[in-house]
Amino acid sequence: MSADGQRRTAPSLSPARADPRLERLLAHPALWRAGSAVRAAVWPSGFAPLDAGLPGGGWPRSGLIEILPMRFGQGELQLLLPALASITRRPEARWCIWVAPPLQPFAPALAAAGVALPRLLIVRARRASSLWAFEQALGSGACDCVCAWTRQAPARHIRRLHLAAQRGNTLGVLFRTREAAREASPAMLRVALEPRGEGVRVTLLKSRGGARGALDLTWPADAYGPQRVP
Amino acid sequence: MRAPKTLDLFAPERLPRRAVRPPVHPVQPRGTPERPARLSQAPLWLAAHLPQMTQASDPVVSRALHSLAVRAQRFTPRVSLAPPDAVLLEVRSSLHLFGGVDGLRRAVAGECAALGQPAILAFAPSASAALAGTRAGQAFTVLEAGQLAGALAALPLAALRWPPQQIERLTRIGVHTVGAALRLPRAGFAQRFGAAQLAALDQLTGRAADPRERFEAPLRFRRRRELPCESDSHALLAATLHSLLEELSRFLSARQCGVLALECRLWHRQAAPSGCVLRFSAPLADAARLAALLEERLHALTLPEPVRACELRAGWPVPQPMQTGGLWQPGERGGLAAAPGVELIERLRARLGPEALETLTLVADRRPEAAWRAGPPAPASDAGPQAAPCAVHRPLWLLPAPRLLRQRGGLPRWRGALRLEGEPERIETGWWDGREVARDYYTARDGHGRRLWLFRERPPPHHWFLHGVYG
Repeated sequence: MSADGQRRTAPSLSPARADPRLERLLAHPALWRAGSAVRAAVWPSGFAPLDAGLPGGGWPRSGLIEILPMRFGQGELQLLLPALASITRRPEARWCIWVAPPLQPFAPALAAAGVALPRLLIVRARRASSLWAFEQALGSGACDCVCAWTRQAPARHIRRLHLAAQRGNTLGVLFRTREAAREASPAMLRVALEPRGEGVRVTLLKSRGGARGALDLTWPADAYGPQRVP
Repeated sequence: MRAPKTLDLFAPERLPRRAVRPPVHPVQPRGTPERPARLSQAPLWLAAHLPQMTQASDPVVSRALHSLAVRAQRFTPRVSLAPPDAVLLEVRSSLHLFGGVDGLRRAVAGECAALGQPAILAFAPSASAALAGTRAGQAFTVLEAGQLAGALAALPLAALRWPPQQIERLTRIGVHTVGAALRLPRAGFAQRFGAAQLAALDQLTGRAADPRERFEAPLRFRRRRELPCESDSHALLAATLHSLLEELSRFLSARQCGVLALECRLWHRQAAPSGCVLRFSAPLADAARLAALLEERLHALTLPEPVRACELRAGWPVPQPMQTGGLWQPGERGGLAAAPGVELIERLRARLGPEALETLTLVADRRPEAAWRAGPPAPASDAGPQAAPCAVHRPLWLLPAPRLLRQRGGLPRWRGALRLEGEPERIETGWWDGREVARDYYTARDGHGRRLWLFRERPPPHHWFLHGVYG
């Protein structure tokens, strides 16, 4: 998979550099292009190369997406963190809910990344009720973003979750491990990632109306730089 | 009878011209006792007498009186109990709002009828007179103090509820009515029947003040109701609880309050009472919403035995500020997000338990396990003062407790070899509260390319621990 992604990186994800007049024409809002059909509102991801590859130029504001790292803790939260920070810091921010996180979210690191902690709500739930809580949070209309960590999620449940997210105008993020990539999923966007050097390789497995392929992201220098001891 | 000039600092002669003259008090006839301090408005008392409750040792009966007093607080804040069988309301300032004497009489009678207790209502300028009138079965309406003596004249002495021997002595000298008692010479009356009885007569006619203890409703709502039969039917239980919740809702709306916690107890014949505790993120008083949340919890409850009775205990009432309705729907541009957020939090709490939801706050402490605190979500979106975040990069995930790692050759291992990166960071603090730490923190990378946060204890035997994961 990764070798395949490597080959396709450059051509598929960089925006076409063509005649500027053509660019201007194509940017007209009345023009509907099959390749970038999604005109829905998005949250900027905070990584310019990723925004260029995502449909609409960012994470969707409404709907369910899946992030599939090889294993837990390979940078999947770091990938979402700039968006979470900008979402929660808006004055009219709704809740940002994390359902059944596998470990304790470490508040000082989240605050340092710019997440507004008063808008962040952690829901502790056992496996049986975590999908229920996820669906309730998605469909309530009270959240900007709901994240959930789960292993077992059949496709019909994901479809239900996706509909709830659209009803509540909420971004739902489902973190699963890479084995789930083999199953079909009705999620809008499926992003696989694996660690690579000082960053991560992101593979778009499924994106409605967006490009497919892989791209390498490097974490900002201060994120994983050498530790400063005051 | 004027006061000596030397003492009257505000005598009219000394006031400058055009100054406001103090009101001239009416000259009192010689020999009358001193009048009580004048209120800005003379009081008007409404006595509601419940004739079914004359034998009042039964606690059920006094409960009915009590609930009438609670309901009567709708009309006036000055409600007094006159046990065993009457409630007094001071209604002079409420007359206009409730449609005069007739409107008020209808409204109070309606409240009594709702309790299943027919009542006799009387209006009088003194509380004792209204009470004596109703106890004699006369529903009179006397608005002015001057007409009071005439209205009272025909009442039998028994209406005063004096001690029987006093009444007997009065009867023996030929006094059968209140009017006859009032006509007796005052000095002689006090000598023969005691000053207390004379004072009671003065209170009856409004000459003496008649202070009444104000009724204060209990602060916390607590009510128990027996089921018609022992049952484990959910529908019956829900119906009973719903009527209790409606009472709670009335109790709260009379105070413009809501509750933050509500306990529901179910009593069984043998087993210990079962139940649940609901906690809300914002003050709540609406019966329908309370019922929805309570039912969510009751569905998850397994009953050991059929239920005999249920009881609701509410927490302290919390003032519930009235809120202006918004023009925009939630989610629309400018719409408030708070309302659906509160509902969601309550639904999640009702199903998952009160401890399942938490928000994080920072604590200014260098120890990772003490640098944050989990608390219940704040009712409003007030951020509060936050500690400054740490400048050094920290992992996004923390293990619930540090996990001891095996080591080989002095280096830690966790599911394979770990590669240490960067410079260590020393955290050595906390000596003051008994949870002292002395650790050197390292970042390390495992075989899957994950960054981990490890530490090595400074005191021997220098164990290695895994403490966090960079997400």
